[in-house]
Amino acid sequence: MQANGQAIGQPTGQGTRVGKRIIGAQSPVTVGWENVPRVEGSRAKVLFFTWFQPAVLFALVAFWYYAPNSIAKASTAIGIGIAFKAFLLFLEWLTPRHESWKLTWKELTTDLFYVGLGYTALRMVESQIGSDAILSAIRDNFAMEKLAFFTSLPLLVQAFLIMFIFDFGQYWMHRGMHNWYPLWLSHSVHHYITQLNINKGAVGNPTELFLIGLGIGGMFDFLPRAALLAGAIGMSVSTYQHINVRFNTPGWWRFLFNTTEHHSVHHSQDFEGSRSNYANTFIFIDRIFGTCVDGEAELLGMEGGRRMSIREQMTYPFTEAWKTMKEKLSRRPGTASVADAVPAE
Amino acid sequence: MNAASLTVPGPTARGVMNRRFFESIWHIRGSVPLPPEQSREEAFTRLAPLFRETGTSHECVDDTLRFTKKDPAAQDKMAVFDHGELQIRDDGAGRALHYHMVSRMLLFCFLAPLLFVAFGQATILIGKYEAAKEQAAPKKPEKPPVVRTLNPIDKMLGAPAPEPPKKDKKPEGKKASATSAYVFAGIFAFLYLVGRILEQRAIRRTLGRRLAGE
Repeated sequence: MQANGQAIGQPTGQGTRVGKRIIGAQSPVTVGWENVPRVEGSRAKVLFFTWFQPAVLFALVAFWYYAPNSIAKASTAIGIGIAFKAFLLFLEWLTPRHESWKLTWKELTTDLFYVGLGYTALRMVESQIGSDAILSAIRDNFAMEKLAFFTSLPLLVQAFLIMFIFDFGQYWMHRGMHNWYPLWLSHSVHHYITQLNINKGAVGNPTELFLIGLGIGGMFDFLPRAALLAGAIGMSVSTYQHINVRFNTPGWWRFLFNTTEHHSVHHSQDFEGSRSNYANTFIFIDRIFGTCVDGEAELLGMEGGRRMSIREQMTYPFTEAWKTMKEKLSRRPGTASVADAVPAE
Repeated sequence: MNAASLTVPGPTARGVMNRRFFESIWHIRGSVPLPPEQSREEAFTRLAPLFRETGTSHECVDDTLRFTKKDPAAQDKMAVFDHGELQIRDDGAGRALHYHMVSRMLLFCFLAPLLFVAFGQATILIGKYEAAKEQAAPKKPEKPPVVRTLNPIDKMLGAPAPEPPKKDKKPEGKKASATSAYVFAGIFAFLYLVGRILEQRAIRRTLGRRLAGE
């Protein structure tokens, strides 16, 4: 058995060895694609859930590649995005992957609150101090133009570069969040979600949502059509990270792209499992750096699956930081703290 | 006592009614008739699994059960409520389980449209400030328009060419739009109405099924 090019041992009853790590020792994680269930039922159902993802991806690429300029606009992209999410919500209701992840009114309201924050308050903040605003100020200060070299490349190459540049930065930011306590405090809130639904990617403390949105894309110039292609490809790949629907995702897709399966391992209650699959879109970045685990998990969250209220989601990084600081300041020199013995996470 | 005092509620009664009306934003009250011959003990025994969920604590005193919930699991059938009271009593129409539940989530959803309207107003204010700042700043020299062309591969495959720069195009300023904030205000107003009706029906159904032993 292989996962991420690393040898997978047999399940030991206390997890499965993947490379040097034991995955699933603290909470159940299924490792290896051959152990992940497939969609069963009528021929039509199997065909639909096998071909839906690639069909949508290629249809959107063809649409944005050939759409006349009068249609190829951001407003069209927003309309398609809303329709796509509405359809996926319908699929979640129709054929949930896990009953334990079913969308309730409270979950939907919480998720949409964060989606709303992203489109309003966070956008306001980002327009003032986000990476694009900072890079724009730097360019203005040094009278620099955006690097226009990329605009001469083929559209699909430009689209890939837009996505890859952002995803590569996000991979390291995300990995940093799992390895450095101050960043973890901000990201930890997102790990308290106990189920995956299509809007769960938006749930998190605003400080994290700001940090994860930082990128150097503002230094480069691309054709508008390439940006629309990148948005469409990103939407038709990344949306499946948080979805309560099972697909028979093709092998090539699972090799290249992040999936619900990968992301459920990342959100599992298993500590080692949660330290894998960091990339947002391209899981091959995890394969390159040895952090990919192919598999899935149903039991998600932190502290045994404790669900945080919105109020705690807003305050947790700050209250935890305050507690840690107070403890460190009150510690007498020469005495060890219990906190020193546990890892940052 | 005159006729008016019989039909018009006194200030205390009116106050209670007003408070109840106001509270109905996030309080859910109702009752479920008890199956015939069902004792109080049996009714509470049948309801007990609902109060064994994670983060739930409860106490039974005589014919009243009080519960509180902290960080309930997402799939807890009563996850939307923070605390409440269930009482078995006979109001003349037969014995029934009367319940009174309190949900901060409903209140939050009720108030959320105001928050998003405030975000919308803040966006407009910031936009005005930015526009004033831009006008006051010294004008930058106009750059010559950049003509962009497609890569030969894309031309060969038939992708539409980028639009040529328009001569009379006004300089692009960042437009502050409050549309998305108002859309979300509307979404939350709708979500509140759905939630208020849905959760009231759901709790009645859940309690009814439990009492019937389903």
